[in-house]
Amino acid sequence: MLRSERAGGKTLEIRHLNTSFFTMKGEARVVNDVSLDVYPGRITGIVGESGCGKSMTARSVMGLVKYPGKVVGGEILLGGVDMAALSEKERCALRGSEISMIFQEPMTSLNPLMKVGRQVEETIRIHEKVTRAEARERTEAMFTQVGISDAGQRMECYPHQLSGGLRQRVMIAMAMILKPKLLIADEPTTALDVTVEAQILRLMRSLCDSGTSILLISHNLGVIAQVCDYVYVMYAGRVVEQADTFTLFDHPVHPYTKGLLKAASSIRSDAARLDTIPGVVPDLLHLPPGCSFSPRCEQCMEQCVKEVPDMTFAGAQDGPAGLSAHLVRCFLAGVPPKGDGI
Amino acid sequence: MLRNILIRLLQAVLVLLGAALLVFIMLRIIPGNPAAVLMGEHADTAVIEKMTKELGLDQPVHVQLIHYLAGALRGDFGTSYSLGKPVSQLMASAFSNTLILALMASAFAWLVGIISGIIAAVKKNSILDHLFMGVSLLGVSMPVFMAAMVLQFFFSYKLKIFPIAGTQSFAGFILPAVALGWNSAGSVARLVRSTLLEILEEDYIDTARAKGRRQMGVLILHAMRNAMLPVITMMAIQLSGMLSGAVLTETIFSINGIGRLAVQAITGRDIPLLQGTVLFSAALVILGNFLADSLYHVLDPRIRKEA
Repeated sequence: MLRSERAGGKTLEIRHLNTSFFTMKGEARVVNDVSLDVYPGRITGIVGESGCGKSMTARSVMGLVKYPGKVVGGEILLGGVDMAALSEKERCALRGSEISMIFQEPMTSLNPLMKVGRQVEETIRIHEKVTRAEARERTEAMFTQVGISDAGQRMECYPHQLSGGLRQRVMIAMAMILKPKLLIADEPTTALDVTVEAQILRLMRSLCDSGTSILLISHNLGVIAQVCDYVYVMYAGRVVEQADTFTLFDHPVHPYTKGLLKAASSIRSDAARLDTIPGVVPDLLHLPPGCSFSPRCEQCMEQCVKEVPDMTFAGAQDGPAGLSAHLVRCFLAGVPPKGDGI
Repeated sequence: MLRNILIRLLQAVLVLLGAALLVFIMLRIIPGNPAAVLMGEHADTAVIEKMTKELGLDQPVHVQLIHYLAGALRGDFGTSYSLGKPVSQLMASAFSNTLILALMASAFAWLVGIISGIIAAVKKNSILDHLFMGVSLLGVSMPVFMAAMVLQFFFSYKLKIFPIAGTQSFAGFILPAVALGWNSAGSVARLVRSTLLEILEEDYIDTARAKGRRQMGVLILHAMRNAMLPVITMMAIQLSGMLSGAVLTETIFSINGIGRLAVQAITGRDIPLLQGTVLFSAALVILGNFLADSLYHVLDPRIRKEA
């Protein structure tokens, strides 16, 4: 796989983002001091199980966190502009034009009462003063670009008349129509079958190659491995490990990442039982004082229960090809494995 | 599409026929002779018999039925016993009053109901929400006659802003319209609020926001359009109900409308008039439902069948 290296700064820089849900029972810290970067022309992945905060990180970036959730701190720098500090009006001007998002459920993400063509045209007409005819023309071209055949005819369809794969293509067309700098894809292929998934992933790869950076959120390691350049692993609201895709899959350091990879790879082996990570995700209302993974970790040490580890280098201090280095939030990092360790 | 409409029209005709039969049968089941009621308590038997014959009530039931149905088809419901005028003529003049009242009441109900429903949904759990929902609960649970009398007491008797009864001037319609619309406004507001709250949680609302639509645009172009579907059904049924005569409101405010005509018909045992008004009401309710259904077809592409 030859991916040309692109110079320049980062498309998106998230610094110490904190998003909380204020419930009757107290504050649930769904996004807990998350820092991440999206590089131009790259696909950056966030992987983790349900409820780990990956979607909430994306929603925080978009400014779409729903009540009773709230971004309580941190910076979200999109091309140097802090999204978190903008007014709603200013954010609206960026949403759809500079930064856009596609969602998990193509079945319910389109307005059932509007023709799909109209819904894509709407994005253009919110941000640019163009005639209907022009918006229509551009939409038709975009439909063709995202691989919808009979674009003109399909534009006249209502969402219920299209298949899941086509609807997701419409969503992608809608998100890409104004050539945003950043596309956030929240589980874009989870609701689709595998052949359609492969097509959509290929489409996203080609969009990325034509200049839009992508933040891809998934719980599916296969999807992540297939298209991402760099991956963040999240657990209970925190980033626990980050590395370029090859390093992460070849040399995972955090016990959670290892567990995830083991659970996924065992599907392909002929073991009688699937590997699992014992225990359950901690309650976000009552996070353990130390490392969130410590209650489930087989290598848990005394220190792990008391304090939250910082992100530390797991290897070299430079990442490959202009990407960040391999970082991990674990006290074991840098410590050579003892005895019959891994 | 056309086939659908035709099928539903046919259904409507069948329902109407059923309603006509039901009215006819019910009026025949009620004990007592209308002629006797008409002639008063102390009337002679011979006079009553003569009257019975004159009214055609001595004929066999099936002959009366055919007579009635054939007349109804031509728009002729006979002559009112008590008022001595053709029923169709009486209804035509009463309907104009009912129409004004119903349209005004609906306009009031929809305007107030929809706007307060939207505000309550958008400002969920705020003071405004609780206020509107409290008032609408009062609206839903307060009987029309009570609302009417409370309004009369304050606005006519105490403040003397509006006439207490009658429809000599346009102002005379305002209080009755509010009294009649009050109830609908409450139910519309509650339905708008609950539907809108549900829809605001839908994924396509996130999509609209992700496009860069501001809150107002999302609300009107995406949320309200979807939320109106169940509301429109409710409004159509309410309107047809009001058009077929607001019995209590018209009586309290002395408005010569269809509802009041029906009351006169009942007290006077005026069979032709009662048949006419009831059948007219049934027709309006059927028409209302038919319109709501058709409107649904226009508004919601999902239920349009592929040709």
